[in-house]
Amino acid sequence: MPKQIAIYGKGGIGKSTTTSNLSAALSDLGYSVMQIGCDPKNDSTTTLRKGKSIPTVLDTVRKRSSDLDELVHEGYNGIYCIEAGGPEPGVGCAGRGIIAAIELLNTNGVIDEYDPDIIIYDVLGDVVCGGFAMPIRKGIADQVYTVTSSDYMAIYAVNNLFKGILKYSNNGGALLGGVIGNSIKSSLQEDMIKDFTDKTDSDVIQFVPRSPTVTRCELDGVTTIEGAPDSEQAEVYRNLARKVIDNKNKFLPTPFDNDDLSDWASGWINKLLVNEKIEKDNIQEGSSGI
Amino acid sequence: MTCKKALENKSGILTNVENFERDSVEAPRYSCALAGVYGTTLGIRGGIPILHSGAGCGVGQLFGTLYAGGESAGGNEGGTSTPCSCLVEEHVILGGEEKLRNLIESTIEIANDDLFVVTSGCVPSLIGDDVDQVVDEFRDKAAVIHVNAPGFKANSLEGYNLFWDAIIDQLLPDDAGDIEEKTVNIFGIVPYNHVYWKGDLLTIKTLLESIGIKANIIFTQKNGLDHINRIPSAEYNIVVNPWLGVRAVEKLKEKYGTPFIKFPNVPIGAKQTAEFLRKVGEKLSVPSQTVEEFINQKEDWNYRLMEYPGDAIILVRPNSFYAVAAESSYAIGFTKFLANELGYLPDIIQITDNPPVEVRNEILDEIKNNLDTVVEPDVVFEADTYKIRKNLEDRPFLFLFSSSIESPTSIEDYNALHIPISYPIYNKSVLVKHYAGYDGGLTLVEDIVSSFVGPL
Repeated sequence: MPKQIAIYGKGGIGKSTTTSNLSAALSDLGYSVMQIGCDPKNDSTTTLRKGKSIPTVLDTVRKRSSDLDELVHEGYNGIYCIEAGGPEPGVGCAGRGIIAAIELLNTNGVIDEYDPDIIIYDVLGDVVCGGFAMPIRKGIADQVYTVTSSDYMAIYAVNNLFKGILKYSNNGGALLGGVIGNSIKSSLQEDMIKDFTDKTDSDVIQFVPRSPTVTRCELDGVTTIEGAPDSEQAEVYRNLARKVIDNKNKFLPTPFDNDDLSDWASGWINKLLVNEKIEKDNIQEGSSGI
Repeated sequence: MTCKKALENKSGILTNVENFERDSVEAPRYSCALAGVYGTTLGIRGGIPILHSGAGCGVGQLFGTLYAGGESAGGNEGGTSTPCSCLVEEHVILGGEEKLRNLIESTIEIANDDLFVVTSGCVPSLIGDDVDQVVDEFRDKAAVIHVNAPGFKANSLEGYNLFWDAIIDQLLPDDAGDIEEKTVNIFGIVPYNHVYWKGDLLTIKTLLESIGIKANIIFTQKNGLDHINRIPSAEYNIVVNPWLGVRAVEKLKEKYGTPFIKFPNVPIGAKQTAEFLRKVGEKLSVPSQTVEEFINQKEDWNYRLMEYPGDAIILVRPNSFYAVAAESSYAIGFTKFLANELGYLPDIIQITDNPPVEVRNEILDEIKNNLDTVVEPDVVFEADTYKIRKNLEDRPFLFLFSSSIESPTSIEDYNALHIPISYPIYNKSVLVKHYAGYDGGLTLVEDIVSSFVGPL
C-alpha cells in the first residue's frame, strides 16, 4: 500500500510550492511519487513540468472521454502528475469536482496501475465544503499536513482544517501528520506557530524559511530541488522529505473555538508588530536610547 | 410520546398551536417546492413545466403529486413527457446552464404551449446556476418565467405561492390597464395538492356567475395564459385559504391596488356558500336581492335533498363523532359543514399542511369560533403520518375524513368509516367530483351515508 498524504493550506501560502518541492525531494531520495492537485486552478504540478500545465481529470469528464491514459503525466524525475481540475470560475461545484475526480482515480485502477510508493494530494486549503474534505475521509489519505505562515488568516484556515479532521476522525478519517511553517522570516514567527500547535495538541514538522531562491525557481518553471539543488533551501525541503517518510505521528488536533482563536492571535500579532518595528528602525528593545 | 400529552388548553380547546415543532416527518401529506410548482403549472392549460433538475424529480412527482391527486396523469406536458434537463454529475461539477439553454430553446420550438415555467430544483440551487440569466435570453421569444423552487426550500403547497410570486414579478405588466367591473380572480386552490381542485374551481366560477360576477379561475380554463394576463384587470381578488394564495393577493394589491377578500376555506355546503356569496356580493355591489333570491332558490332544493338521507342518518349514525386530517382550508370547511349542517360532533381536527406559524392561531380561531356544537374538538397541527395515526387512537369518532393513506385500516385501527377527502388520494379517480358549493355539501352527505347503508 502506498503512503498517502494530503497537504492543505490557505490559498497563496506556498502550499503547491512546498508540495512540489516535497515530491521532487522524495523522488530524489529514490521513491516513486504521485502528486494529485486538488484545486480547480490546476496549477499544483506546473513546477514539476517546466511550467507547463496538463489536461485535468475533469477535462476528460467535460469531453465525455473514457481515455484514462490522458490523466497521468510524468514530471521531474518521473513523478506522476495528476490535476483534478474543476469548473470555470463562478459556475458549477468545484467541491463535487474533487469528489468525482478522486472517485474516478480510485475506481478505475489509475493509481494501482502506476503503483507509486507515495501519493500526495495537494488540496485547496479552506475546507469550505464536503468536497474539499474528501481526501481526509476514510480510505484516501493516511496523514494530513498543513502549510501555514504566521499570518492570522492562514492559521485560521489551519484551525478550520483541524475541525474537519476532528469531524472525520470518528469514522476512520486521516489524522494530522504535522504542520509545515512556511515563509518564516523570524524566530518569533516560529514561536507563534509552535505555540499554536502546542495549544491545539499538534506539532510542527518543519519550518521553511522565506527565500528568494524559491521565487526565482518558480519563475523559471521549476522546483527549488530541480533549479537550485545545492541551495540551503533545497536542503530544507530534503529534510522535510526525510521527516515525512519517517513520520508516524497521527495527531488528533483540538482546534480553538473562533473567539478563542482571535483572542490567542491578538497577543501574538502585537508581539510581531513590535518586533517588526524594532527590526525596521534598527533599534534594540529596552535600549538605553543613547 | 402521544400527542395528547403535548396539547395545551387554549380557550377551551386542546391544541398544540403554540408548540408545534417539526423535525422529521414520516409520509408527509405534501411533496417538495418543485412538486408544487410542477403541479400548479400543469393545472394551467397551455402551461408547460421545464424542470431544471435531476430526472428523478419529475418522475417522482408523477407518483408523488399527479397520481396522488386523485389518480390524475399530467397530460401532454406532464408525467414522462415533462421537459427536464436531467442533470447528472457532469452538470453538477461544470454547471448546467448550457443544457438548460438548449432545453428551453427546443421546448419553445416543439411544444404547442403558451407559458413556459422553468423550475429550478435542488441541484442548480446548490451549485449556483444563474438560471435567471438563461431565462432572460428567452423572454422576448415566449412567455417564460423562472421559479426557483429547490425541494429543500419549502413544501409543495408553498410551491404554489412561489409560482404566483414568479408570475406577478416576472410576467404581469406594471400597469393594470382598465379595470373590468364585477370580475374577480380566485386564489388558494392548489392543483393536484387539493385533490378536488378541478370541480371546486369550476363550482366557484358557476356560483359567482349566478350572482352576476365573472370569476377568473385561471386553472382548468382553455388558453390559461390569457387568463393569467387578465389578472390585473380584476376588480377584486378572492382567496379561499388561510395561507395559500394570500401572498399573491397581497402582492397584487401592492402592484395594482386590487383589493382582496379573504376566506379561510373553500365554501362547502349551503351555509358556507351563502356566507361566501353574501360577502362577495356586498363587496362587489351586487344588489342583495339578486344574491338572496339565488340563495333561497338553491337552499330550497338543497334542504329538500338533505331530507332524503335524513332517515338513514338519524336511524343509523346520528350525532356521530368525527375526525378530520386535512390541509388547512379543507379541514376548516369540512369541520364546519359536518358540525353545522349534519349535527355531527367534532372529535379531533388535524391540520396537515404545515401552515406558517403566523396563521396557525387564525386557523384555530376559525374552527373554534364557528362551530354550532357543544363539543369542542382538539385542534392539532401535525404533518407526520405516524403521529397523525397515534393522535387518532382511543377516541370516540365513527367517521374519519382524511387521505387515502388511512383508507385500508380505518375500520381495523379506529373502528371508523373512512371518507377520502384530502391529499394524497390514490384510491379514487377524481374528475368532476367536488365538495365546494351546494352540490359539494350534498356530495359529502352522499359519501357519508353510502359508507354505512345497504347492501340489502
